[in-house]
Amino acid sequence: MADRTVQDRLREEYFSLLPHIRRVAEQLEAEIRYHLLPIFRDLRDYEQLVVKARVKECESAIPKLQRHQEGAVFDREYAESYSLTSLKDLAAVRVLVFPRRRLQEVDLVLRRRFPDWRSDPVVENNRELALKYSGYYRTEDRVQAEYQIVPVLTGLFWEVEHSAIYKPSPRLRGVLRSPEMQERSAMVVEALRAFEAEFEGVIERSIDDQRV
Amino acid sequence: MTKELTELLAKADILENAGYYYKFDNEMYVNRRAKKAFSMDFIEDHAASEIERCILAPADGNAWQFYFNTDPSSSVRQQLELALG
Repeated sequence: MADRTVQDRLREEYFSLLPHIRRVAEQLEAEIRYHLLPIFRDLRDYEQLVVKARVKECESAIPKLQRHQEGAVFDREYAESYSLTSLKDLAAVRVLVFPRRRLQEVDLVLRRRFPDWRSDPVVENNRELALKYSGYYRTEDRVQAEYQIVPVLTGLFWEVEHSAIYKPSPRLRGVLRSPEMQERSAMVVEALRAFEAEFEGVIERSIDDQRV
Repeated sequence: MTKELTELLAKADILENAGYYYKFDNEMYVNRRAKKAFSMDFIEDHAASEIERCILAPADGNAWQFYFNTDPSSSVRQQLELALG
């Protein structure tokens, strides 16, 4: 019988972890929704707060771990040393926020609830695009979880990019690391940020004007 | 554009002008004729002058030369060489 590949081992590990990943994602989502209730209640009609949980799929988790290796190749000699539990986002929750000033508010509330989680913001062009934290939901959990707080348009762009390109073919993720693609991606995100900032500015100036 | 991205684009230009292309499956720049490959980790962590020096360094001719932050093991090297053809 042919030897099992590193990928075969990791697939087996994934399906043994899957019930835990699902449970962590559901619990984290429920708790984040609960803690954000006071902000939800206070939203103006043009403001948005969308909470979405996701479980990383097997065929996305394995290539991600593979891309963590230089040359994106698993070393067969050390097959036993790889584990999907080293990924920080097997279970994840994304909070989409509009306008941006709500982002800090959401961040403050969630940081109070998860004070020990590691902060790893998404930074491009010296700007923080999104806030990202990871940790163990409960100390006895086998998998780590992550939550992100992202401006709505940036988050939706990432979703479109993911479902149109990377979900059908996870290996294409490597394309994004090319310097030219990093430049294009930074341009798109910057354009979305500017669009959102202007949109927000127009609404708020108009509201302030009505108050006068 | 950030200083890091500007520098990275400059390094990509150096590599592309020397006949390298980006192989997205392995996240590295490759030149089949020179039989050299640079990982993105190496490119990000080393100065443009160092990359130029590596490009100009005499090649072995037969064996592939991998410029990685961590030397690839023989098993990794074998898999990469197979992928590079």
